[in-house]
Amino acid sequence: MYIQSAYAVSPQGSFSELLESPAQYRGDRLTCKEPDYSKYIDSKLIRRMSRIIKMGAAAAMECLQQANVTMPDAITTGTAYGCLADTDQFLTRMVEFKEELLSPTAFIQSTHNTVGAQIALMLKCHHYNNTYVHRGSSFEAALTDAIGLIGEGEAQTALVGGVDEIIEKSHAILSRFDLYKKDGDTANLIGDPEKGTMAGEGAAFFLLNSNREAGCLAKLDAFQNWYKPKVPAATLVEDFLKRHEAPAGSIDLVITGANGDARYDGVYEALKQSVLNAIPAITYKQFCGEYPTSAAFALWMAAMIVSTGKVPGAAALAAPKRVLVFNNYKQLYPSLYLLSAC
Amino acid sequence: MENKQELIQRLKEQIIKQLKLEDKKPEDIGDHDPLFVEGLGLDSIDALELIVLLQQEYNIKLKNAEEGQDVFRSIDTMADYILEHSAS
Repeated sequence: MYIQSAYAVSPQGSFSELLESPAQYRGDRLTCKEPDYSKYIDSKLIRRMSRIIKMGAAAAMECLQQANVTMPDAITTGTAYGCLADTDQFLTRMVEFKEELLSPTAFIQSTHNTVGAQIALMLKCHHYNNTYVHRGSSFEAALTDAIGLIGEGEAQTALVGGVDEIIEKSHAILSRFDLYKKDGDTANLIGDPEKGTMAGEGAAFFLLNSNREAGCLAKLDAFQNWYKPKVPAATLVEDFLKRHEAPAGSIDLVITGANGDARYDGVYEALKQSVLNAIPAITYKQFCGEYPTSAAFALWMAAMIVSTGKVPGAAALAAPKRVLVFNNYKQLYPSLYLLSAC
Repeated sequence: MENKQELIQRLKEQIIKQLKLEDKKPEDIGDHDPLFVEGLGLDSIDALELIVLLQQEYNIKLKNAEEGQDVFRSIDTMADYILEHSAS
C-alpha cells in the first residue's frame, strides 16, 4: 500500500519551512498556520465553515490535487474532539438563550463527522465515508479502516485524515488537568525536565493507493496500534518488526512522539535501550504540539522525509530510506508506522 | 421604532453578521434585491438563520413556514414585516 500524496495544515507552514527554519512557539500552545483557503474552497462555502472544517477541507483538497485524483473511493477521518468551535457556539447559545433561538449552522456543523462530510460534499463524492472518534486512537482507527478497505479490494484509493483544533474553552479546561507548561518553548521542549507539554492542533490528509503511482511519496509497509497494552513499548516494537520481517538494521530513522512532559518521556527513553538503540532518532511534537491525532502529522512528516531524503533538524543524516514512527499518546494509545521510500 | 430606512440599514448589517457574509457591505445589498438563489444567493440554512434573527433581534416569530417565502423575498419585505408586527 502506498501513500500517493499527503498534506498537513499545521503550526509549520510547509515541509520546506520545517527543514529550513521551523516556526518556534512560546507559551502553552502551538497554533496552525492557515493557508489561503480561497485556493481550495468556494467563497460561498467558506463563510459557514469553522476553522477546523477549513483546515481539514484544505488539507484534503491539496492532498487530492497533488495526487491528481478527483474522486477517492473512500474517505475516512479521525478526530478526538471534533468541531469544537461550533460545539462551543451551539452549547453556549443553548445556555444563554434557554434552549431557544439556536443557530442551525452551529448545530449542523458541531457534529464530529462534519469535516469528512464537507470534503465529500465539495467533491460530490457518494462513496464510503466514515469518521472515527476514539480519543487518542482516532486517526489510527481511520487508517485501519482505509487499509482494510484497500486490502479487501473495496477501494483502490482512500483519503485518510486526522484533524483536531484548539479553542479557548477546551484549552482552558484541558489546562486545568495540568497537561501544559505555562512558559513552554518549542526550542527546548523535548527533554525538558519539568512536567507538562505544549498543546497543538492540525489537519493532515493522505491519499492511500493500492498501486504504486508515479510520484508516490512512500510505501506504508506496516501499521499497528494498541490500547493499554500489557507489555512494554520495547516489546511492542520488537514484535512488530519481527511480524513484518523488518530487522532493526533495515530502519534508518525513528520518529518518536516524546512531548517534553517529564512524566511521560520515560517510555521513549526506554526505546533507546531496545532493538532501536543504534538507530538515529528524532521527535516531532516540538513542531506540532501534543494532541490526540498528532500521529497524522508524524506520518506526514515521515512520508515527506522518505520522499525527499531530508530530515528536519538533522541535515547531516544520510537520506533515510526506511522510517519507523512510534507515538504513545498519554501512554495509553501506542501506535507504530513503518514507511519506506517508493 | 426607527423609520424604515434606518431599519433597512440595520437589517443589512445584522444579516451580514449573522450569515457571515464577510465579503459584503450594507451598500452591496439592494433594498429590493432577492435574498435567495439570485441576488444574495442565500439557501435554506440561511432561511433558518433569518428566522432566528427575527426572533432574537425583533422578538417576532413567523406564524408558519409558508410566510417565509414572502417575508424573506428582500430586505424591503423583511423591513415591512418587522414594522407591521412590531406595531401590533
